[in-house]
Parts: sequence; C-alpha cells; structure tokens
Amino acid sequence: MRRRLAMLALVYVVALAVIAVFSPMIVGTKPIVCRYKGQIYFPALAYYNRSWEPAVFQRDRFRNVYVGNLKEKDPDSWAIWPPLYQDPNRRVREGEWPGQPENPTRDEGSPNRFNWLGTNRAGVDVLAQMVHGARTALLVGFVSMGIAASIGVVVGALAGYFGGWIDMALSRLIEVVMCIPALVLILALIAILERPTIWHLMAVLGVTGWTGIARLTRAEFLRLKELDYVTAARALGVGQSQIMFRHVLRNAMAPVLVPITFGIASAILTESALSFLGFGSPPPNPSWGTLLNAGRSAIQQMWWLIVFPGIAIFLTVLAYNLIGEGLQEATDPRLSEAD
Amino acid sequence: MVEGKSLASSCSGLAILAFAALTGLIGCSGGAKSSSPEASSKPASSESAGAEASASDTPAADDAPVVLGDLITPFDTPATLAEAEEGVEWEESPVIDTLELLREQKKSEPAQVSVEDALAMKNDSDEANKKILSALSVLAPEDGSGVNYAAVLNRTIQQDVSSLNPLLASSVAEAEVAGMLAFGMFTFDWNFNPCASADTVASWQTSKDRMLDKVVLRDDLTWSDGKPITAYDVEFSYKLIMTSQVPVLAQRQGTDQLAMVKAYDDHTLIYFHKKPLAINVWNLNFYVVPKHLYEKSFAEDPTLRNSPYHVKLEKKPISGGPYEIESRQRGSEVLLKRRESYYTHDGKPVREKPYFAKIRHRVIEDTNTQLLALKASDVDEALLGAEQWLTQTDSDDFYKVNTKARGAEWTFFYIGWNLKSPLFEDLRVRQAMAYAMNYDEMVNDLCYGLYPQCWGIYHPDAWMFPKDPAPLYKQDLDKAEDLLDEAGWADSDYDGVRDKEINGEIVPFEFTLMVSNKPDRIAICNLFRECLDSIGIRCNIASLEAAVFQERVQDKNFVAEYSGWGAGADPYTNKNIFGTGEGRNYGSYSNPEVDRLFDEGEVEFDREKRAEIYGKIHKLIFADQPYLFLHTRSSFYGFNKRLRGYRFSPRGPFSYGPGLGSVWVPADN
Repeated sequence: MRRRLAMLALVYVVALAVIAVFSPMIVGTKPIVCRYKGQIYFPALAYYNRSWEPAVFQRDRFRNVYVGNLKEKDPDSWAIWPPLYQDPNRRVREGEWPGQPENPTRDEGSPNRFNWLGTNRAGVDVLAQMVHGARTALLVGFVSMGIAASIGVVVGALAGYFGGWIDMALSRLIEVVMCIPALVLILALIAILERPTIWHLMAVLGVTGWTGIARLTRAEFLRLKELDYVTAARALGVGQSQIMFRHVLRNAMAPVLVPITFGIASAILTESALSFLGFGSPPPNPSWGTLLNAGRSAIQQMWWLIVFPGIAIFLTVLAYNLIGEGLQEATDPRLSEAD
Repeated sequence: MVEGKSLASSCSGLAILAFAALTGLIGCSGGAKSSSPEASSKPASSESAGAEASASDTPAADDAPVVLGDLITPFDTPATLAEAEEGVEWEESPVIDTLELLREQKKSEPAQVSVEDALAMKNDSDEANKKILSALSVLAPEDGSGVNYAAVLNRTIQQDVSSLNPLLASSVAEAEVAGMLAFGMFTFDWNFNPCASADTVASWQTSKDRMLDKVVLRDDLTWSDGKPITAYDVEFSYKLIMTSQVPVLAQRQGTDQLAMVKAYDDHTLIYFHKKPLAINVWNLNFYVVPKHLYEKSFAEDPTLRNSPYHVKLEKKPISGGPYEIESRQRGSEVLLKRRESYYTHDGKPVREKPYFAKIRHRVIEDTNTQLLALKASDVDEALLGAEQWLTQTDSDDFYKVNTKARGAEWTFFYIGWNLKSPLFEDLRVRQAMAYAMNYDEMVNDLCYGLYPQCWGIYHPDAWMFPKDPAPLYKQDLDKAEDLLDEAGWADSDYDGVRDKEINGEIVPFEFTLMVSNKPDRIAICNLFRECLDSIGIRCNIASLEAAVFQERVQDKNFVAEYSGWGAGADPYTNKNIFGTGEGRNYGSYSNPEVDRLFDEGEVEFDREKRAEIYGKIHKLIFADQPYLFLHTRSSFYGFNKRLRGYRFSPRGPFSYGPGLGSVWVPADN
C-alpha cells in the first residue's frame, strides 16, 4: 500500500516537473513559434529568461502584445499559440485575444471561463501564475538540495572515513552550522543585497541545510569503512579518495537519499513561507507563496487565492514526503519486515 | 516616506517608508487639544518609514564634553526684560482654545441627520459620508453634562514606542503617545492656522518687525510630580534640543531656525528669531521637558535613555500634558490615564477636563488584525485601507458596533528619481516615465477608485494650489517612446532593451525600483514595471523591509523609490524636500528658481501673494518632474459607534487641534 502511494507521488512529481519545464507552452501570451517578416522566432522563451525575447518585437513597438500586432505589421506572419492565453506577469486586457474579455480586477476575479482559477487583485490570472510558479517551486527544491547534498556528502564522508581530529573538527563545524537559522540569514541577506533574487535564497538554503545529510553520511561511513571489502581495497593499494567516493559512497547513498527528499519538501515550504512573508522571489516572478500572501488580507472575499496555491503546496510537499518515506522503506530492511 | 499612522497609510512613518502599517502612516500626531502640534507642525512627514531622522542629527563622538546648547550660534541676549522690550512695538497674536473654536464652527454646521439615523446608515456614498460626519462630529456640551468621563479609549498604534521622552520621539506612534504626555504651547486648527493654546498660554505677542515673540505662560501649570511648569523649563528644553550629543530626531527641525529662547521670569519668555520670516511662527513649537529632572543628568548621559536614572525616568515619565502614564508593556500596549493635576490647580478646575479616564494604545502592526480588533470592539478606531473600506467593512458584522467615515487628506505618493543617476538626469526621460504609467488602471483597479491621481506637490483643495495648473499626465506610450528615442535611449545593440552610450560605455536602461514591503504598494510598482517593460525598459522591483528602505533613501542609495509625503501644516515645509541641498531632498533636485521662490515665500506675509508664490513653485516642480506623481490618499477610518466629536483635517482626524481632544463618549454608553 505504502509503495503504491509512493509511486503515485512519484508520478505527481514527474508530472509537475513536466508542467514546470513546459510552462510557457501551456499558458502564455507569447507565441511558441512564429514567423515574422521572413524569420522564425520563439518568443515564448522569454518566460525562461527575459533577455531571450527577440529584439525585433521591441523595435516594432509590439509592447508585449503579439496577437493583433503580428498580423497588422506583417500580414504574412503566422504563429502557434499556447492553449491558454493568459500571462503570469501581467493582466490580459480587452481586445487582445478575439472574444476574450479583460481580466477582472479587485475582488471580482472569481474563477470563470477565461480564468479557471480566478485572478488576483491586479487582474493577473491565478492559473498562469501557478503553472509558471511551479518552475520556482521545483527549482528551489532541486537546486538548494543539490548544494546541500554536495556539501553534506563530502563533509560527512571526510569526517566518517578519516575519523580522529578531522572527524572532531568537522563534527563541530556541523554543530556550528546547525545553529545558524536559515530564515534569519535570508532576511539579513535580503537587507544587504542590492538585488536579491531567488538564486540567493537557494544558495542560503543549500549552505545551511546540509548538516543532517552530513551526519547521516558520516554514520554510514563509520560503519562501512570497517567492512572487509574496504580493508581489501586498502590492502590492494587503492587510493583514499577512490575508496571513499567509488566504493564506500555508493553503499552509503541509499539512506542519504531520504533526507534529501525530505529536504526538497522543506525547501519548497521555506520558499513559500518567505514569499508569503513578502521576502521571496521579487515581483513579478510568480510563486505559490506570493499568491497565498495576496489572499491573506482578503481570505473571505478571495478564497481562490488561498485554496488553489494552498492545495498545490500541500500536494507537492506531501508527494516529496511520501517519496522519501517510500525510499526509506525500500532501503531499510527493518521497515519492510514490519509490513 | 510616508507611513504615518498611516500616513504612510499603508506604510509606516513619514518616512515614507513608513513602513509598518499596512496603510501608511502619516507623520503627524495630534494629541490632546492643548498639547501639541509639535510633531505636526514640523515639515511634511514622510510616510514611509517610522523615523524622521536626518543625517545631520547624528550625535557627536562620545568622548567630547557635553555642552548645553552647543548648536546655538552665540547670541547676545538682552539681560533684562526691559532691555529686550526696549523700543519694541508689540502686536497681539492669537491665543485660542481650539475646542472652543470648533464649538463656534459647529454652530454654523447643523447636523443633517440625527445621531441615531447616522449610526443606522451605511457609508456608501459621498452624501452618506457627509451626513454621518455632520451628525457624529457633535461636540460634548460645554458644561460636560452627558459625557461619560469614566470611558476608556482604545486606540491602535502600528509600531511599538521605543521612548516616551517627547524629545526623542521620531516615529508616528511615538509622536502620538508623546503628544498626550508632553507640554506644548502652540497648535493649529483644522485649517492649519497656527495659534497658541489657551490652555497653557496667557498671552502671546509678536513684535512689529517680526524678530521677537513674547509668550506669557499661565501660572496654574504643574508637572505630574507637582513642580510648577515655568518659562525656565522652555528655555532649558530649547537648549537641550540644540545640544549636538542629545539624539533629537524630529524636534530639531525648525527649532534650529531660532536665534535664542530666553526666560525672563517664571512665566515670561522671549523667542528671538534670526530673520523676520512669515514662517517664524512654526518654529516656536517644540516639546518641553522638566528642567529639574534633566538639568544635572544630561551631561553624564546625553542619550537621555541609557543611565540608570534615565531608565527610571523612562519607566515612569513625568508628564506635562493632559494624560500621564499608567502602565506600559513593551511591544503590546501603552496605557495612559487622565492627569488630575493638569485640569485642576489647588483643587479648583482650571481647564476642561479631558474626556477619557484612560487611553490605551494597543500595538497592532497588521492591518487585518486591526480590523478584526475593531469588529470585536477591542479597539475604538482604526485606519482602513482602500480595499478594507470597500469590501470588508460593508457588512452587518462591521456595522453592528462600528461606523466609518472618510475625509480628503493632503498626502501623496510618488516614484522619486535620483537625479544624479545618468538614467534620470534628462527631463525628457522623466517625462517619458510620466507618459508610460497606466494611471487609469492604478486609480480604478489598484486603488479601488478611491484615491485620485496626484496633481503635484500640493493638493488641489489646498489654498496654495495654482489656479491654472498644467494638465495631468495621461498614459501615451507612443509619446513616451518618442521622448526616449529623442533623449538618445534607443536599442542600439539589438537586445530588446533600450540603451545609450555614456562615457564610451553602452548602458542599458535597467534600474531597481525600491518599495517598502506592502502588497498594495508593490502592486502599483508592478503595474509601472509592466508599462516600462512594454517600451523596452527593464525595471526590477526590490521590496524592502521598512527600516532598510528608509536607510537607503536617506543615504541617497537608490535610483528610484516609491513613497509618499504627508502634508506639512504650511507649504514652506516643502522647501525641506525640494530645496537645493536640503535634508529630505533625497533625489538631489535643484532648481534655482524654486529655491528663490521658497525664500520669497518665507518673507511674504500676505496669504494671497503667498498662494501665488507657492502656486508657481508647484508648477515649476510639476514641469521638472523630479517625481513621477502617482496618487493621493484619503483618510479612511472605522470608529466605534460610541465615539462622537471626530472631524477630518487634511492631516487626518487626530493630528491637529483639537483633534483627539474633541472626541468623547456619551454617558449612556
């Protein structure tokens, strides 16, 4: 039963990853592909990186609206559009897409035919923000835990394998880092930096979040280095780093994956919490936490700003936790016996 | 920098950055009717942040000896009163009981509906608002009959007060509390006419040459420890404010324009001015602290808050105002009680009894929590945001115990450019910015149609607003792009972002717009960002915590910043913001003609002519566009149904005389 849940969670996470990666092709107001004045362009790429938008459209005064301008300025142009015409960064206004009215603003944007999950106060579509916000959520989880895992595994491996004063020093280092509150550090960083971005946030989460991983790795190494095959390798004259990272690490990896998975879940939660407090990714970058924050002051009027992003955060965090649990079960024989 | 009580409505502090409150706060505080206006008559407050400190206020190095009044330029003070008055011709200046003045005013403004009808109404139109205000602004009868003198008023402040010493007050909240505890002699009414308060001043005379002001204090004034309040306290306080090592933030502004303040006997004071200016009257006003308490102690601890003695005083401050401290819990509330030794003297009543037995200031930072507290009758008044006014206070659960009212306020919000930045030194670029903004959507959608577009530094209702103003800007992206092209900002490297070659380097038009961390403010910045993005300009929004925002603005460490200014009581206060090299001229704006007109306005006494001068200043600044003028903000307040006697001024309902002093609760409530 547990396994099945974990598999379901895995499917959810993979689906989410697909949505995140292809978000500009799902919801957007820029064509995926278009032909304009004899050239082929991919304006939707601008959602990944603002500077990837072809400059010609800025020159020709498109003003970020492609629909009417393409035909008007080049009658021979054609374009392939995302299935949903909504933008995560701005309000869609009257007359942009034939037959689609302007997005409602204030507290009038309840879910409707054109805004499936409603709009926020400024009239920006909630579904578009959630789909594009999935990029932020996944990125934060993977990047911050990637940093944490690299640091944690190396520190834990060194401490566990060498023991002695190295272990002593690294263990104290781990304890020191455990004492640093990541949230406070992030708030301080935001105050100092000229232009805080989501990358700074990920770096701080990664640099402070590796201690659990390091401790587990160290414990695994302490156990594994006493095993016969390590002694054998040493006797054969295999180098230290070779033994550590080639032979011991592979066997130590399984239990370490579990805290990494849980870490991804908590990183997503932290990012949402920061955005909720207003210290997350700067506007207009869409984020689930930012949506929640917008709904906080009008929870009775604008329930859709709370419910949908709330569900998304809940399901995603739950999914990672289920995967983590599944991994734990799969790698820990005592747990599977209990079933 | 607005955020005052909410001048910064939605922000905290005049400083525009004011930052903590949802709605900003406005910088001034009103106080009880007699005490007062000190904070308020100081220059326009910034809404943004809570603090109003300016760089010049930094205390000197610790090891230098403390010299009382070392900032005062040596001045040859006449030794005796007779000498000082020799050859001086005096003119009487107004000494007014503002509550009495308001009673007179109310006689000509009959209530349009009965109080019962007003309380049953919903405030959903201008007409309803007028009716409600006309009925509920009813004042208590002169003899005090029908007043519930045992009532406790529960107020909200948006941030904790760090000091109860009025000299050290800098945030809006501190000014509000200090206004109740401090001794003050001058105030101004709801039309911003300055006067001396009849509660504390017996007579006030100004010399014909405008170089001297003579004030005679009443002889029935005492501090809450029983010692008499004398003219020597005023002289001492002046010198203390003008001592470089005392960390006075707001109080030094204006006060430093005086040449000297001298007490000639227990009750007689003469203020010596440096120049015969029309605005001298605004400089008379500063808070007064008891000389006998600080005379010896300030030299060893010029911070007035660190030594054990000062800590003790901070815990149990001696009051000179209508209220005194009852108790205080850091971070949650400040409770004041009516001071008997204020309104009585030797057992006889000598002043009107303040209407509330106690005033509780509850610290509630979050505006949603404030509204919930109001609905639950935990507080009696709360500033409302535009959204709260429209959507969260129209149901029966609000009207069960509350009503609401609004008034125009001379507070405006803007995006200030750093004119030293190569991006914004060109007027055409600043005009392009003004043409790029989508005002319609800002006003109708983001501001809920409640805050009109800003028309420059003075409010259209104000007497100094020009008669023939330049038209408001409307969004015109074609014009904006043409102006940018003309100014040399075109996309020369073909990357989709406008750029210009400056000193041999291609500089892209990309900048950071700072804003304090408030959702409604960020939304407006985001709309502007979208407008700019569509014409090839990259604007990054940095939403900063209020204190950080304030600090960066004061250090001029910004390219563009969103904030607001509350109204000063007199238009000259804007000199501090737009005069070349002035303290709050954060964007380094400079126009010699504007400087000249500000100087001219200070020596002109005729109101018509002053209106003309300040009207010209208004037009010049509007033409120069040192700011992108966005929107004004009105005051929106929710009041418990038991309150009576509130009235709106261009600084909100409390920050003038009588202000809070006229609010009362009927006996049957």
